Order: sequence, then structure tokens, then C-alpha cells
Amino acid sequence: MSTFLTATGLVLLAFFWQITLSGIQRKVTARIHRRVGSPWYQNFIDLFKTWSKSSISHGFIYDFGVLMALGGTIATLIFIPAGHIVVFDKLDNFFVITYLLAVGSLGMAMSAVGSGNPWASIGVMRALTQMLAYEIPYIMAVFAIIYANKTASIHAIALAQQGMGILGWNMFRMPLGVIVGFISLMGMLGKKPYDAPIAPAEIASGPLVEYGGKHLGMLMLQHEFATFVEVGLFVNLFLGGGTLLAFLIKYFIVYILATMIASVVARFKIDQLVVFYYKVPLALAFIQTAIVIFTGLG
Amino acid sequence: MALENEKFNEDKINEIDVNELDCRDTLTFWEKFGNIFRSKSIWMLHYCTGCGAMELPPTMTSRFDMERIGMAPMATPRQADVLLITGYLSVKTLRRIIYTYEQMQNPKYVVGFGSCTLNGGVYYDSYAVISRLDYYLPVDLYIAGCMPRPEAVMSGFKKLMNMIKKGEALGWKRYQKYYDWYKKNQVRALGEVYVKDEFHE
Amino acid sequence: MVLVYSMVSFFNPYWMEKVIHPAAYNLFYLLSLGGTLGVFYSKDFLTLFIFWELVVWSSMFIIPLGKSRRATVVYYGISTIGSFAMLYALLLLNVKYGTFEISTVINKLSTDPKMATLFFFLIVMAGLTKLGIFPFYTWLPIAHGNAPHTFSPVLSGGLVKMGGFIAFLITAVLPTSKVFANHLQILNNPYENYILMILGAISIIIGTLMAIKQDDAKKLIAYSTVSNSGYILIGLAMVDQTAFAGGVMHVFNHAMASAAMFLAFAAIAYRTGTTKISELGGLIKRMPVTFTVYLIAIISLAGIPPMSGFASKWLIYQGLLRKGNMFIAFAAFFGSVGSFMYVFRPLAGAFLGQLSPKHKDIKEVPFWMQLPMLIISGLTILYGVYPGLMLKYIAKIQTSLNLPAIGVDGTKILTPNGMWDSWTVTLVFTIGFIIATILYFVLPKAKSVDLMDTYTSAEFIHNPDLYHYSSNYYAPFERLYKNHPSVEKFYDAIALRFKELGLLVKTWFFNENPAFTVFWISIVITAIFMWGDKI
Repeated sequence: MSTFLTATGLVLLAFFWQITLSGIQRKVTARIHRRVGSPWYQNFIDLFKTWSKSSISHGFIYDFGVLMALGGTIATLIFIPAGHIVVFDKLDNFFVITYLLAVGSLGMAMSAVGSGNPWASIGVMRALTQMLAYEIPYIMAVFAIIYANKTASIHAIALAQQGMGILGWNMFRMPLGVIVGFISLMGMLGKKPYDAPIAPAEIASGPLVEYGGKHLGMLMLQHEFATFVEVGLFVNLFLGGGTLLAFLIKYFIVYILATMIASVVARFKIDQLVVFYYKVPLALAFIQTAIVIFTGLG
Repeated sequence: MALENEKFNEDKINEIDVNELDCRDTLTFWEKFGNIFRSKSIWMLHYCTGCGAMELPPTMTSRFDMERIGMAPMATPRQADVLLITGYLSVKTLRRIIYTYEQMQNPKYVVGFGSCTLNGGVYYDSYAVISRLDYYLPVDLYIAGCMPRPEAVMSGFKKLMNMIKKGEALGWKRYQKYYDWYKKNQVRALGEVYVKDEFHE
Repeated sequence: MVLVYSMVSFFNPYWMEKVIHPAAYNLFYLLSLGGTLGVFYSKDFLTLFIFWELVVWSSMFIIPLGKSRRATVVYYGISTIGSFAMLYALLLLNVKYGTFEISTVINKLSTDPKMATLFFFLIVMAGLTKLGIFPFYTWLPIAHGNAPHTFSPVLSGGLVKMGGFIAFLITAVLPTSKVFANHLQILNNPYENYILMILGAISIIIGTLMAIKQDDAKKLIAYSTVSNSGYILIGLAMVDQTAFAGGVMHVFNHAMASAAMFLAFAAIAYRTGTTKISELGGLIKRMPVTFTVYLIAIISLAGIPPMSGFASKWLIYQGLLRKGNMFIAFAAFFGSVGSFMYVFRPLAGAFLGQLSPKHKDIKEVPFWMQLPMLIISGLTILYGVYPGLMLKYIAKIQTSLNLPAIGVDGTKILTPNGMWDSWTVTLVFTIGFIIATILYFVLPKAKSVDLMDTYTSAEFIHNPDLYHYSSNYYAPFERLYKNHPSVEKFYDAIALRFKELGLLVKTWFFNENPAFTVFWISIVITAIFMWGDKI
């Protein structure tokens, strides 16, 4: 029962925290563009508005994919340790989380292509290509962490870092790894240089092209939850998690930093993106992992 | 190709003008509740066929900043709430406008931007341009001017928001209710242009 | 003892196959089935070799039933390399130890590392050719792509796994980690095993990249088999607690997943007559059962929880992590994420998207074709949720091989680096899905619209065929490795040289008169006899 309550608490926390942050993120972007920007609660309004609208369905898989996306992402979210809130201790294996997140992506991709719109197919194609690009450097960077800690449990890794004080964070022990992790995080979040899959002016927002009303709202929610998972993963792996407050502060800093970078750069083409990820971050990740494995540093 | 002027004669277009009919009905609690959110968050699909597109960049970017009243541009009609029709509408684009409008999700609103949508503007006697948009689509709000300045655009949207909040922007209901009337007008305007589409199956 | 247990995991894919019309096909099918079983049961190497050849021969005759002679030639040519290597190794052993008995040979080899190394490479060659590992992978797509639709799943699910069995025999039953303990160690693996792992890694990458490119679904699945064989080989070559278990489990998981995928496309070919992705589209409306089967298969193949494929891949990752084999791990992760791309292509191209007008009236396949597919899917889910059912047997195999057994506790798999509890994950996933469903049904009801009523930038489009995005699916990505080097070209060049050599010999030494042939044959035989006398 307490597991159930913690899980509910975590989902609600993610809901309010991440949607608020999305609003703040819009505000930050606006300020960088010298605009006033929307109020911080704007994303709540957007979300509820989409839920109040009518919607269309392109058939069974179109609906089912959306449910699978949201359900899968909620399930992933429950495995993320957020500060004190750890729902399933020892079960929060890195690979489990990474691949559970893929359930959500698969659902969304299926639903988008099921709409029969070629824009959506192109968007999904780009999203999958981008996934191949950013996942490999990220996993290689995390490989070093897991090898050094001898465990793949996110919570255990976070605890190990807290035990060593601020210089024990993987961010300082593995400086190359954190660069790779952050670049990959930007790709995961679909932030600006890496937003080819949902390029609105180019392929009409890609996978989201056919969604309106509640489907769109549910996918927006899915995106927010996925963001929570991705940033939360990064904070736990590289910045040492911490108490709930510390976790949220670190989360805030990472997310806003990503936003600030995103608001001043332009978009990569998808093949440039693959080449970039396989050149710089992958090389850095290999160097970092080699250092950890062969010298035992970090 | 050319449509004769008589066909476009507005007196002949139909006997009744549904724009004068009232289609207000009582709102349920959930509709009122939803209207609060709808009025605060307006996603716009700008269909910039005419000259009006030029006024939108300043409206959107840092000079006037549309986002601060909760508006954002959207890529597709499925996601959008407001269809912004800028400038004159040739018969060829009218067909696209109708197609786009019908793909939008309820509740949806139409904003006519510039004099051309209102009464034809400088193209009032053109053979290829329709002169009153609200014969073909239910327009909730017009923003007059040639071109309307961004200030006018912003105040127009502010007004639309108030209308939505009060439940007065009911063009989409009118379109459902008097669908036949609109369809008749549309087919009449598009009549002789040969394209294989839903009007010419 | 070991063989019986591994048999359990190998046996299943077979009886599920749908037997098809021609008598010859049936005969060879049964022969190859019998041969495969024989290979798994055989107690000495000679029997093993005979059954092995039986399988090669019978399958060789089945493949041309799919109307391609070249496929057969390539398949047989590459199989021959393996078979000769194996035969040579066996004869060598016989000369040296005077026995074919597996257990005796293994015992003797354990004390003779030099001989063991030679034997290891020769025998493993046979395994590699069958598994379709890097230098020998070329027969897979050609043979799979051209074999009869129903034989492809057997090829992939069964024959290829025979190679896995040989690899298993040679890396584990011959205790490589002990025999080669004094040899050069690369990242805690003997270099012999590491070479196998590198070959596996190369196969993963090549298989993935090539599968992403394919338009023919059967070739795509064939390349995915190349990639997954790489996983199996890596897992087996690690010979440890976790990755070895993962490798053995992956043999079974991949057999089921690829068999289900091939069967799904056999079903499609049965109704539409094509397996080209760009000619299909929107079949989910017409063939929902096939779609479901395919979906479950790809979730398993791509290693997404809670299907069974995840558990085995996860175990392999854990093993790689434990030893810090970073370059192999890179290939493993690349193949895993890349598999999302190539399994999605047939899903998007053939099942989703616009339904082509020429397939408007097709129906779902008959029940007896659905049944095997559904059974395989059921097993995939069952072993995904309860991986312990299979891992129990694998643990016994490991114990009998003197390896630390994989820790299984109910639905939990325990490894030194953490655990995986499929039941909890499935439960949580179900809860998440229920929340989403409740949300979905509370919100306003959706209106159903046609697939052609989509956002087209306000353009009117009336041709579903043209409006379906399925050819050149990953064009921007494919462009990056368009001019890749290829072993196929190298093999083709060798084949050409051989042909020329043959022609040369023919023009020089033979003419129309058969007496000349007889003359040369007798000369050669005499020469051999005299040479043999000298030794």
C-alpha cells in the first residue's frame, strides 16, 4: 500500500513540477529573446484546454498507441528515484528504465504512423535515427559509471555519490562523461539543435501532425513525464541525486541550462546530427570509459 | 475558369443570412469551465494566403510578443483553435480554407484579418476573389484595416478571448447548425473550377 | 545431460511450423528436422557431423523451391567452408586421440591447450557459417530472402541456432576459460573467446546497418538474424554467470521472435503475394491478428520489456558491464537501438499507414495459419513475464558446466549488478496503462475519421499508394553509409576467379572426348596414391 502511495506521490510530483517547469522554460526562452513570455502556469492551461476539445481517431492503433505511450511513460516514471522518493529500491536498473522509456516511444511512433500521414512517418523516422545517434554515446558514458560503481541501480549510484561529498559526484569524477551525458540529454529532450523530429515549420511537427484534442493533450503529458524521466536520470547519474529538495534544485538547473542553450541555436539536419554524435560525444565517451576501465580513475 | 460577376452578386447568394441568426444556447457547467481554459490558451493556425502575413512576425516576436497572452502558432489544423485568414481569398484558396477548417477540432474559431475578408477590400470587384468570408465560413471576429497594425491584431485577439470566455464565439456551432447553407454557398462559389475534391465527386 | 537441456530450448520452434504443399518439401523438411534433432542429441562428433550434413543437404534442396538457384549455391558454398573445417578437425582428432566421443575428446583437449586452440577455431568455423557471423553472413539474406516463405522461419529459428549449438559446444562444454587460462587475456577473456566476441560485434553492426537498408521484409529479418546471432555468440563466448545465460536464452528468444516475424510475413505473402515493404501498407485493418503477432515479436526482438527478448539482452549487457568489455558493449547497444529502426520499418510500411486500393479486399489468414503464430506470441509473453521458467534450465546447464548458475528467484533475475523483476515491471506497466485508459475514456469521445482525411497542407490527395511513406524509409541515415565496403564484392571476385580458373583448366586439359577426362582422372588418382605411399 505504501508503495502505491509513494508511486502516486511521485507521479503527482512529476506532473506539477515538470509542467510548471515547462512554463518557466517558456518564460526563460522568451526573456532570452527579449520578450515578456507566457505566465508560468500557461502549460497547465494548454493541457486542460486540449483535454476539453473534441478529437478524431484514425482507427484502433491510433488510440491504442497513445495509451501505450502514456501508460509506458508513467510506468517508467515510477522507477525513477527522486530524492527520498524511491518506489522500487534495487529495481531501478538503468537498462530497465532506458528500455521501458522505449515502450512509450514505440507507442507514440506506432500511433503516429497509424494516422496514415506521411509527415508523421518522416517525423518518426527522424526520431528513431536521432535515438540511434544519442543513445549510444549516452549509454557508453553511463557504462563507465556502472562499471566504476559495480551496480546498475540508479538509486545505489546516487547514494554512492552522496557518500563522497560534492567532489564525489560523477560530474567531477568523470568530466568527459558529463559533457557527453548533457549533449545526449539535449538530444533526448528534443531541445533545439536536436529537434529535427518535430520540426514544426518543416514537417508540420512530425509525429504530432494528426493529433488534436485529448490525444494531443495526452501526448503532451507523455512528453512532460518523459522529460522528467530523462532529466531525473541525468541528475541521479551525474549530479548525485540528493534529498528531494536538492534533487529538484539540480533538476531545475540542468533543465534551465538546456533550455538556455536551446533558445539561441538553430536546428541540425538529421544526418548532420548523426555524424556529430558519432564524432564528438562518442569519442569522448570512449575516452572516458577507457580511462575508467583501464586506469581505474574516476 | 472565370466566374461571372452575377454569380458573385451577394444579393443573390441566398435568401437568408445566417450570420444574423442567433445560435446561442445555454452552456453546461463543463462548457463554461472549459471556456476559461480555451480563452487563455489560443493556438493559431495562420493561413497566410494574402498580403497580411507581413504583420504577423512583429506580432509574434519581441516587439509585441503574442505569447504573453497565451497564444502560440501551431503547425497543423488538428492542433489549432483559431484559423487566422489574412488578406484576400481567391476562389482557389477558399477551397483549401474550407478543407482546413473542417479538419480543425471543435471548438474552433475563425478570425478574418484585413478588409479583404470583410468586404473584398480593394479586390471587391475581382472575378477571382471572394469578397465576404462569412458566407462561406462562420467568422467570429474581423480585424479591419488594410493592413491592420500589430496593435490592432493584439486587441482583436484580446476581444476574441473575452468572447470565448463569455461563450459568445459560437461560429463553430453555427457552422454545424446551418451546414447546408454554408455548403450551398461554397459549392456555388467553387462551382466551375474543375478539381477532383469533395465538392466535385 | 547438457544436450538434453539445451534441446528443450531448441526443440520448440519446430513443431510450430506450418507444413506446406509439395511432397518434396515435406520430405526435406522432415529430414532437416530430424537432422537438427540428431545434431542436438549426438554423443560423438562423427554422428554430429553426419546429422549436420544431413541438415545442410536437405535444406539445400528446399531453398531452390523458392525459385532461386543462386541462393542455393551461395548457401551451399558457405556451408561447405564450415563443413570442411569441421571434417578436418574431426579427422585430426581421430588421428591424434583415436576417438570421436565428445566427452572423451573434450577431456583430452582440456590438457592440451595447443591442440585445443586449433580445434577450437576449426570447429567454431562450422558454427560461424551456420550462425551467419561476420565473414560468413552473406548466405543468410540470400537464402532467407529466396527460400519458400514457410522455410525461412525454420532456417532462421532452427538451422541458424544449430550454429549456436556448435558455438555452445565449443566455448562452454570445452571449458575455454580454463583451457585457455594461460593464454593472452583481453579484458578478462582469453583471446580466442575475444576473437569470437569481436566477430559477433562486427556481425551485430553489419546486420543492423544492412537490415535498416532492406526493402524486402524477409531480407530485413535475415539481416536481423545476423545481428542477433552476434548477440548469441557474444553471450556464449563470455562463458560466465550472466552473459552466458543470456546468450543461451537469446537463442530461444530470437528463434521465437524471428520465427514469428517470418510467419507474419509468410501470412502477408500468402494474401498479397509480396514481401516488399514498399508495395504494402495499411494491412492492420485487414489482418489484425498478424499485426499483433508481429508487434509482439518485434517488441521481443528489439529487447523492450516486458517481452522475453529483454531479459536475455539485459543479461548479456550485465555480463559485458561486469567485465568492462566496452567495445563489444558498444556494438551490443548499437545493435539494440538500431533494432528499433529496422523492426519499425516493416511495421510502419506494411501494417500501418495507407491501405493500398489493390489490397482492399484481402482477408485475415485462415485459423490454422494464425494458430502457430499465436502460440509463439504466447510463449514470448510467457517467458517475458516469467523468465525464470527458462532460466531454471539454463541454471542447470551452467551447474553441469561448472559455471556459477544464474540466480533466479520467482520472477526475479539476480545478477551482481542488480536485478530485474519482470512481474513488477509488467504490473506497473499495466497500472500505467490503466491510468491512461481511464483518462482516455473520461475525456470527450473521439470521432472516427478515414485514413485519407489527414493534414496535407490543404492539398487534395486521392491516391493512397502515393500517400504512403514506405520506400527509402531511412534515406538520410542510409546516405551516411552508402559507399560502405562489402565482403560480398570480395566473395564475388573470388567466385569469378574460381570460375575463370575452372574454364582455364577445362580449355587446357579437356575436350569433347570423354576419354580425355578418364585419362586425367586416372593420372590424378595414380599421383595421389604414389604421393600417399611416400609419407
